[in-house]
Amino acid sequence: MAAASKTSDGLLLSGRAILRLVVGVAAIAVVWQASVLLFGIRPYYLPRLSVVLEALAATPDAYIASLLRTASETLLGYAAGALFGIALGSMFFHRKVLKDTLFPMFVVSQTIPVIAFGAVIVLWFGNTLFAKAVMAFYLTFFPVTVNTLLGLQSVDPAQVSLMKSFGAPRRQVFWKLQFPNALPQIFVALRLATSLSLVGAMVGEWFGDTVGLGVLLLQATYNENVVGIWAALLVAAALGTLFYAAVAGLERKLVFWRVER
Amino acid sequence: MSRLLRAPSREVQRGLIGGLMLLGGWEAATRLFKLPAYVLPPVSGIVEAIVERRAALLAAAGYTASEALIGYAIGCAVGIGLAMLLALFPRPRRAFVSMATAVNSIPVVGYAPLLLLWFGTGIASKIAAVAFAVSFVVFISTLSGLDRVDKRAVDLMRSFGAGKVSILWRLQLPTALPLIAAGMRVSTVRSIIIAIVVEMLGAYGGLGWVIYQAVMQIDFVQVWAAIFVASAISLLFFNLIGLAEWKLVFWR
Amino acid sequence: MIKRRKVLSALGAASLVAAPYVRAFGGTPVKASLRLKWLPQAQFMGFYIAAEKGYYRAEGIDLTINPGGPNLLAENLVATGADTFGVSGGTDSVFAARDKKLPIVCFGIDHQITPFIFVSKKDGPVKTIQDFKGRVVTTWFTGANYVLEGVLAKAGVNPKDVNIQPQQVSATPFVEGNVDVFTATLYNEFYTLEKRIGLANLTRFAAEDYGITVPRDTLIVSETTAKEKPELLPAFLRASIRGWRDAFADQKAAIDLMMKIAPTLDRGHQEFMLAEIKRLMLAGKAGDEGLFWIDPVAVKTAHDMFLNYKVISAPVDLKAAFISAPLESIALADRKV
Repeated sequence: MAAASKTSDGLLLSGRAILRLVVGVAAIAVVWQASVLLFGIRPYYLPRLSVVLEALAATPDAYIASLLRTASETLLGYAAGALFGIALGSMFFHRKVLKDTLFPMFVVSQTIPVIAFGAVIVLWFGNTLFAKAVMAFYLTFFPVTVNTLLGLQSVDPAQVSLMKSFGAPRRQVFWKLQFPNALPQIFVALRLATSLSLVGAMVGEWFGDTVGLGVLLLQATYNENVVGIWAALLVAAALGTLFYAAVAGLERKLVFWRVER
Repeated sequence: MSRLLRAPSREVQRGLIGGLMLLGGWEAATRLFKLPAYVLPPVSGIVEAIVERRAALLAAAGYTASEALIGYAIGCAVGIGLAMLLALFPRPRRAFVSMATAVNSIPVVGYAPLLLLWFGTGIASKIAAVAFAVSFVVFISTLSGLDRVDKRAVDLMRSFGAGKVSILWRLQLPTALPLIAAGMRVSTVRSIIIAIVVEMLGAYGGLGWVIYQAVMQIDFVQVWAAIFVASAISLLFFNLIGLAEWKLVFWR
Repeated sequence: MIKRRKVLSALGAASLVAAPYVRAFGGTPVKASLRLKWLPQAQFMGFYIAAEKGYYRAEGIDLTINPGGPNLLAENLVATGADTFGVSGGTDSVFAARDKKLPIVCFGIDHQITPFIFVSKKDGPVKTIQDFKGRVVTTWFTGANYVLEGVLAKAGVNPKDVNIQPQQVSATPFVEGNVDVFTATLYNEFYTLEKRIGLANLTRFAAEDYGITVPRDTLIVSETTAKEKPELLPAFLRASIRGWRDAFADQKAAIDLMMKIAPTLDRGHQEFMLAEIKRLMLAGKAGDEGLFWIDPVAVKTAHDMFLNYKVISAPVDLKAAFISAPLESIALADRKV
């Protein structure tokens, strides 16, 4: 575990890491504030950080409620998408006919800009939290499927034959060899999918909702409230980073055997 | 790995059968249940509309595709380049990755208005959005790929006096190729979608522009026609990159 | 428990205020939803007040208000039955919907006149409509572009001589002088312009000055609802009118409520918006005929313009698309503000 911490991309919960994080955030904050003041950037392009924070502090309840709402939509859709993606990737790996027939269609499904289909989403799933989770799910499952399949396919065939020659059943070969070997690649997709699921949830909120970071963003955008845009973006970025860090942390726990550089 | 896209005729056949079944089921459903166009237009009607408006749709597709392609190329170059730089100079790595993640967790649709403000309503804002999103995915994929290298092999190369650059070029990069390729392939589709989404918010042309106007003017067949075309170019793009990837690996 | 008590008290109030209607629906309120064309803001103040004060309940309607969003069409959702009522784009979108065979009808209009106008800066190069020639004019290509072309044509300016470009969300290009003429919604962009340039520094070009009008924010319902539950329409209108009257009578209380619903809104903007909305809703014939009036002349004018520009493929049967009977069943005194 100690070795694993060296290559992790996430945040570590050690004292030093927290310190580094605080220093990093503080540095960005100072650069932001200072550059706006120094270069006289007009607030319509980039408002001062302090003004953005003031906006957050003015109506904290609205931002907290939206954060919680968006976070639950994201998590729900992400969990479902991750499980479905891993299952689908494994199924495609085992059943080539299914992969050949269905995979192109899943690719096609990802080429559709769902944002054009707000009405259809509302028709099918209503104005519920579930409808937003569906959007998150839709964006999550595809990269997980692809990476699961690729990860499973990249397992050394010699090792597979070796295990089989010892009489290991297919199930055992999968769980003991192929899946663990595919895990690092699966986790790459799982990490990328964190932000995708957040995007899905926020876009889902554009289809008629009252609470959520996507709603706040939309409201601010069309009212040309640049401070409001940045406030919503800041909260979204915090949520996304935290989520990413959590998945990266899980990765360190589960993929500790990952070969070290 | 590229078995996924080597596409011998059997796979293509199966894919086609799957696609035909879907389209057939769609057509049958719209006719059987007499669905009005505002719920779901029949495939035949959509294809008819595409043929009828082919000139306008083709122009829009070309517009969107060029935005996506330029953005994609920039994004891949930046993503791979940054990851390689961090492999050579790993000190700021963690801080950089955390920052990139934070920035990337912001949805495109969120900062699209800012991009329009900064880069204007023309193609620059779309290229920026695409490049941004693609570079992150490719960056993370490349970084993970470079990490996959066998430590013993590194030690071995180092004991022969190989420098950082040569280890990166001869050992890490080839090992990382499958993951880089996966990231690049997933990004193809994303790049088209992002171009379309930003176009919807403000543009002078492109498929997103067509879709937005059609939605506002309640022309559902036109919406679907544009989406069919978008899917077709995404698929083409996806498979072209897949093919290029296979050629590259095959050549090696 | 609390909820039930609330319901009971609302029902109690209902029986006092509007007993006959509640009885008309068989005692229990009918579930219905209203799809807005955008997010909660003062543009829809009256509906929110009517819901908050239980006016819909008093009319026997258990109303849920669903906000809208980009790419979300109220016409579509009402036609498919996902929502009962809608505050949709405007007369223009009703024409387009009917042209595309969507089974919806309009039974009331919020804004009696075109809610957007074209503006130029007083210190800029565009002083009169003739000056549009060769200048950069931005507008929305979702209907407003035809209003612009219509205005230009009426003024004898060939639209081809004007550099008309799609307008983006931000007013900044106009404020900074990269755009000479800008399309501004009276209750939205106008507020931004007021704060950044000052309204006194703007020259305004209103569609109405050129004999063109596009009344917007239309109340729509599906043909099925209009036919099968006709009593729902006057009930909805009565409650909505009460809500709007309250909104206009006590604007401060109204904005207080809106800020409670959406705390991140800019209060100054919402106050500005409500004042503008009041003006738009009471303009034209609404002064004599009351809120939500459907002025057949204005509707015909808008229709003929869109037909002329081939936005709609064939003439729309306006008598079938716009029904005034539900509104006219309410006494004039109860409709006026």
